[in-house]
Amino acid sequence: MVTPVKEDTELVTINIDGKDYQVPKGGNLVDMAKWVAGNDIPVFCYHPKMDPVGMCRMCLIELGGVARDRATGDIQYNDDGTPQIRWFPKLQTACTQTVNDGMYIKTNTEQVKEGRESVIEFLLTSHPLDCPICDKGGECPLQNLTMAHGNGVSRMYFDDKMHLNKHYPLGDLIYLDRERCIQCARCIRFQDEIVGDDVLAFHERGRRLQIITNSDPGFDTYFSGNTTDICPVGALTTGDFRFGARPWELTEVPSISPWDAAGENISLSTRLDRDFGGKAMIKRVMPRQNEYVNEIWISDKTRFGHHFTRSDNRLSKIQIRKGSNFSESTWDSTFKAVAKTLKEANGSVAAIAGGSATNEDLYELAQLVTGLGGDKLGAWSPTHTGADLVAQVGLPEGSNLGELGAGDAILVIASDLEEEVPMWRLRLKTAQDRGAYLVVANGRNTRLEELATEDPNIKGRVVDGAAIRYEAGSAAAVMANLKKSNKDIAKKLADANHLVIVAGAEGLTLEGHRALVQSAANFLIDSGHAGKVNSGLLVPLPGANGMGLHYMGFSPETTQDIAANPPKVLIVLNAEILDDDPTAKTWLSQVDTVITLGYFMDAIARESKFVLPVQTFAERDGSFTNGERRVQRFYTAQGPMGDAIPAWKAVGNIAQAADLGRAKLSAAAVMVAIAKNVAAFEGITYKVLARTERQFPDVGGDDKYYGGNAYQNTGGIGKQIALSGTAKSEKVTVPDALKAGKGEIVLLPTTRLYDRSHMFIPTVMVRSRVSLPFVHLNPKDAKALKLADGDYAEVNYDGGSVRVRAVVSDDVSVGAAVFPRKLTEKATPLVPTVGTITKVTEPAQIEG
Amino acid sequence: MADSKHIVLRHLDIGKPIIKLKDYEKRAGGYDGFKKAVKMEKSAVIDEVKASGLRGRGGAGFPAGVKWSFIPQNEPIKYVTVNADESETGTFKDRLIMEQNPHQLIEGALTCAYAIGAKAVYIYLRGEFWDVAHMLDERIEEARKAGYIGENILGSGFSCEVYTHLGAGAYICGEESALLNSLEGKLGQPRVRPPFPAQKGGGLYGEATVVNNVETLANVPWIMVNGADEYKKIGTEQSAGTKLYCVSGNIQKPGVYELPFDTTFRELLETVCGGPPEGRSFKALLPSGGSGPIVPLTDEVLDTRMSYEDCAAIDTIIGSASLIVMDDSVNIAWVASKVIKFFAHESCGKCTPCREGTYWLDKVLDRIMAGQATAKDIERIDDVAKNMAGITLCALGDFAANPIIHTIKHFKEDFLAMAEGKELAQAGD
Repeated sequence: MVTPVKEDTELVTINIDGKDYQVPKGGNLVDMAKWVAGNDIPVFCYHPKMDPVGMCRMCLIELGGVARDRATGDIQYNDDGTPQIRWFPKLQTACTQTVNDGMYIKTNTEQVKEGRESVIEFLLTSHPLDCPICDKGGECPLQNLTMAHGNGVSRMYFDDKMHLNKHYPLGDLIYLDRERCIQCARCIRFQDEIVGDDVLAFHERGRRLQIITNSDPGFDTYFSGNTTDICPVGALTTGDFRFGARPWELTEVPSISPWDAAGENISLSTRLDRDFGGKAMIKRVMPRQNEYVNEIWISDKTRFGHHFTRSDNRLSKIQIRKGSNFSESTWDSTFKAVAKTLKEANGSVAAIAGGSATNEDLYELAQLVTGLGGDKLGAWSPTHTGADLVAQVGLPEGSNLGELGAGDAILVIASDLEEEVPMWRLRLKTAQDRGAYLVVANGRNTRLEELATEDPNIKGRVVDGAAIRYEAGSAAAVMANLKKSNKDIAKKLADANHLVIVAGAEGLTLEGHRALVQSAANFLIDSGHAGKVNSGLLVPLPGANGMGLHYMGFSPETTQDIAANPPKVLIVLNAEILDDDPTAKTWLSQVDTVITLGYFMDAIARESKFVLPVQTFAERDGSFTNGERRVQRFYTAQGPMGDAIPAWKAVGNIAQAADLGRAKLSAAAVMVAIAKNVAAFEGITYKVLARTERQFPDVGGDDKYYGGNAYQNTGGIGKQIALSGTAKSEKVTVPDALKAGKGEIVLLPTTRLYDRSHMFIPTVMVRSRVSLPFVHLNPKDAKALKLADGDYAEVNYDGGSVRVRAVVSDDVSVGAAVFPRKLTEKATPLVPTVGTITKVTEPAQIEG
Repeated sequence: MADSKHIVLRHLDIGKPIIKLKDYEKRAGGYDGFKKAVKMEKSAVIDEVKASGLRGRGGAGFPAGVKWSFIPQNEPIKYVTVNADESETGTFKDRLIMEQNPHQLIEGALTCAYAIGAKAVYIYLRGEFWDVAHMLDERIEEARKAGYIGENILGSGFSCEVYTHLGAGAYICGEESALLNSLEGKLGQPRVRPPFPAQKGGGLYGEATVVNNVETLANVPWIMVNGADEYKKIGTEQSAGTKLYCVSGNIQKPGVYELPFDTTFRELLETVCGGPPEGRSFKALLPSGGSGPIVPLTDEVLDTRMSYEDCAAIDTIIGSASLIVMDDSVNIAWVASKVIKFFAHESCGKCTPCREGTYWLDKVLDRIMAGQATAKDIERIDDVAKNMAGITLCALGDFAANPIIHTIKHFKEDFLAMAEGKELAQAGD
């Protein structure tokens, strides 16, 4: 349980309104009063995730302490034997007090009541009365606390109210209503303290004090939406939700982010909406508290990226190829037709599935393929591996990145976490704030590099502090030889109380990544960290269910095997093989029949015989296993899209049509089968996954001051799978780095959070933040290619070519060009490859 | 004493400013106090200042030696910050010290730095004092060349640098924690205390820091030379030494006067300053600029000594001793309006009661000044001001409440006359 009271916590006694309580020493008074006494001391500026600032003055209390003799330090007693209490003459703010032994507070006296009433009155003097049209109305801390503590009448002349800009865009995503703002600075502090990127600030002073953004583009961060949640009034609203619905019309449905390995817990706020044919529709995505996973934060991609679920491009009908055309069909006849095709393959059946497929989908798919006599289950994309090692030396059950701090160490290697798993980046940054030693190793500058621990003892590096900038593509060698070539850093890591290694695949082939992950596992085993709580290996596997793929038997190595030995029939589930990989068409042409289950009519779907529409996470229930092996359940939120059904159901019915047993009737029933047949899932049921517990800090209960109806976790905190197997330190063979010939260059694909993938591009409001395609070169390489910063260039590679902008800076290492994936609709290299870059002189159109 | 010798304004005894180091050394016993101090134990210097009873001259009157003694001796980095933000309405004494006798401040600051073991002294001046800062830089350079600043000062092993820094024009930066924020390049807003500046974590860049007013430090050289006992002989029991009184308003001879704390208001205002303008009589006094409670200039008040304890007894404060005098031509509601405009303009906006309260009070006072208000509005602003007082983050909220609460308490009839349009607003504003 996430609680402020640990085994070794020293407890002190404080007295609240005449009653004694035992609380952890050093805790914040507001948090402790709430946790132990259920006493909701009202706050606006205070937030338990951030340092107190004492600005709003709402949390006024009477504060006292046991009187002690100045000379002797002895407690002074009244005649009746009770200790004397010395009270401060003025009211004090509770949020700026840390609890200590003998602290006395009163929260219900007339003086306290008057103080709080005054603060409410002051806050409302210039606050507009537009609650009836305010997004926050109904879940607004200012509204709630006015009802609880205000006197109900305004003494301010209406004409004297201050009028300010009500629709100020801080960026494309977040709007500021300067009249509603009560200058609590929660948004500024969030960016500064939690994200570590202070793009917001105060400007001016006095009553003119106002929020500004000082980044260009405005409010440039991947976490901006969180400020609208913690805003205690309706000053900050998202471009996605503002004026979209009223909070009390919304039904909160617990769900899980479909985007990345973090598995952020979210709440889908839905209502029956005319814009969606009267069906339940997602109006907004809110964070749901899970202190083990995402605390109370989510990335902007998770918050705003839900539009693909209702995209006009969604596949809503079954498509069956007749010659060069497709025709629609019904499920019953399709199940039969697909089953017939599969049976005719005589066991030459394989499947490739992507990270959007749920545990249930994957289990049913594996059952189908093996039932048909096939044995090849490939994981998409074949860029990242090591899930098997995460299952063995990952973070053990009961771990929490939120507990990393002083004395602990973190190594992030070959990953741009901000772009790949923003929530891990956020949580590792806050761990660094708490004192963890953060080492960042990459072949180029990433935003995380700037957060690497400052360490004057580490000298002679390209970049300051505990950061390693290695030669492009050499991550595996760096990890394998860390103890030799980065002795001081390696020692810090090995000696840490807890050690977390995040091993990405940037700049690496699948074999290279295998070598890196094994080296990282070796390090953890050798240093004695493997198997220790809060220590272990993380891999930013693509998609929400990378670990689920592993547990259900899918591996990226098998995907390579499938490509090398194509089967007669290939089943593709949520894997955009042709859009992702320009080389895939070569081997796919040798597959007789492709059966695709997906969300869109993507390139692989257009090459398929059968195209089956399946439901996204929003329209069905299911479960994902996140990168920390936490199995988490999500619930049906949105109305169905056309004829799409859940993939487990489609696959199960195909199996039934192929006489492989009866199709299951629910996702829960599939989970029962999984628990029975997949060892790691033993004991896991939907009921287990739905278990909740009280979490600290308490922001989701009936309190009136943290706002938002969505924080409260009623959907379950999930269940972390125990480590299995005993990995041993193994000798690693680092594959040779790719070598470019004359006139060639190594292209290193990287991941961008905002890209032009089928799933993300329907989120129109973020489109302006998707980078135009570019290739990033070191000045040395650029010079050899006669390219200058800003030039147009044509990049040629195996399977295609694309025109992009050249970016030239020494933020990337010599010898390779960074070439982000999915910034164009054309397929660009999925894994490092050798290609050419030529300057384009004629007026060129870059292909966005 | 006014006609004999001065402690702070020593140049007045000589008859001309003491700018150059050689003048300071020759004619004002320059750096003798500092020379004496560096030969003493650090704790002995602090004890001497403590024993002198020297109180902070910035307004709060906190004993300087006690403040110095709060600095943890074992911390490796400590600072001295000189508060030369002089922004209180009607205060113009620190400027005089820096312009006419700059080395005495530098000497006092260095003595403090030695006593607490500080690495550096920062003199934080209000932005308008750019010429003063420029001049101080020249004096600092002069002192460095003479070996009073830099490495191993006077062979004592003590090393210290002195820097000047200009503010950007905010009253609140005279508040010590806002000053430190501003000095660090942050927004000039007060910090939550504790930790106090003298504690680790609360001072400049998080290090223990003494923040003292210019005038406070300018007293230190005299104390070091003449001893605490001599200093204690001047003034009253709880207010030792002399004070620089800034007199302005309706008075014959405005200016800065250095007098012992046991001087009465009558002695200063009538004897020294020559009383009110011809044909007028005294009405009211703001003894501590806009931030202190106003008092009617009755005989009782006039016969009060201008010390911390005596002023408390008549329900006001001496603060930084910026005496703004008003004669019978002045409507006090107009004074309140002017002062509130100042605070509404200068509130930093960090905490709710001050940010919203000053804005609100200003708006209602505008109505009163326009003759568009009722007695109820006067009750309202009185109540609003009382609600503000005591619950703000820093003292500015209390300062801003004072001019309303106390002007209404003593001069309610002025407000009524103004509110009901019986008296037109004073010319000009």
